[in-house]
Amino acid sequence: MEHNPPRKVALIASCLLNQNAKVCQGANYPGVVSPVVEALRSRGYLLQQLPCPELAFAGVRRWWAVYEQYDTPAYRAHCQRLAQAIAPLIEQYLRQGDDLILIGLDGSPSTGVRFTSSQPEWGGRPNRPEDDWKIVPRRGIWIEELEAELARRGLPPIPATGWALDMGRFDEAGARRDLEQFLDDRQSNTSPRVDPVVR
Amino acid sequence: MSGDARGWHMALVPDRLINPPKDASAPLPDVLRILEANRYGVLQLPPAGEHGLLLAVIADQVAEYSHHGYAVVAIGVQGIPSQGLHWRRLARLLQQRGVALPPRHLLRSRADAGAEGERLATFLADYDLPVEEQRRWRV
Repeated sequence: MEHNPPRKVALIASCLLNQNAKVCQGANYPGVVSPVVEALRSRGYLLQQLPCPELAFAGVRRWWAVYEQYDTPAYRAHCQRLAQAIAPLIEQYLRQGDDLILIGLDGSPSTGVRFTSSQPEWGGRPNRPEDDWKIVPRRGIWIEELEAELARRGLPPIPATGWALDMGRFDEAGARRDLEQFLDDRQSNTSPRVDPVVR
Repeated sequence: MSGDARGWHMALVPDRLINPPKDASAPLPDVLRILEANRYGVLQLPPAGEHGLLLAVIADQVAEYSHHGYAVVAIGVQGIPSQGLHWRRLARLLQQRGVALPPRHLLRSRADAGAEGERLATFLADYDLPVEEQRRWRV
């Protein structure tokens, strides 16, 4: 019986393929974030775009916000619905024995992986650039809910990192080095596996 | 939107065009590269199968974009089920959300990939919303 070799699959934040999803004044590229796509494709990764939770919840004309502003029961329930929508596809990849990674958006209140934005006192009308917020080492709310849904399904944690687009001052060269380091380190590591099925 | 680089254009794209099968008998153009060159973002559709909830989530996003001045198109592939676009189901979901079906461009899998790429690039470059809609939203 023939087994197909495992594929490398990158789950990527919606806005890394579509910068139109970004909050007002937050888009750094017209559409596709090409350094991320190039880094992944050149290493043989398939791409799987995740839904954008903020767009579908607060709309495309939303203000920017911090973790605490999105940390509400309604927003978490919305993220849980999105997680339930994409989880079957992720589960399918994992059960086929594929090697998955997750690329989020560091600094984002929703899609941050290593870092999110925080300011418990924020509220009311934004006042950029005077507003000040902190970058704290924590998942964004969407990533928290997505990982919780995968855990509920008995799936292993997926190695993850973030493209550092929402960290305040964007350094593309630094973000690229960081991502490439993560990807190259993965080459020698084992991937999370669940009971594989024969394809 | 000062200091914002968004292109205000995006395409619904089948999984097959984002992740082309390695054993494809007829190569298709590199759609991601063409979209990037034409300042389009991507809304990736799932591969064939039951993805009802995910398609509903995608339809929600298309509705939000379409109601706020973004130009949305769909790129399919001739000769595969639903052109890879889940078209009938997606059409129903979009109609439920009061969204007109986006213009659709179909790639011909048996044609020359280079020529198909040029045809796609022309389609993308030529499409936009009416000027009044652009002026209303894109400030």
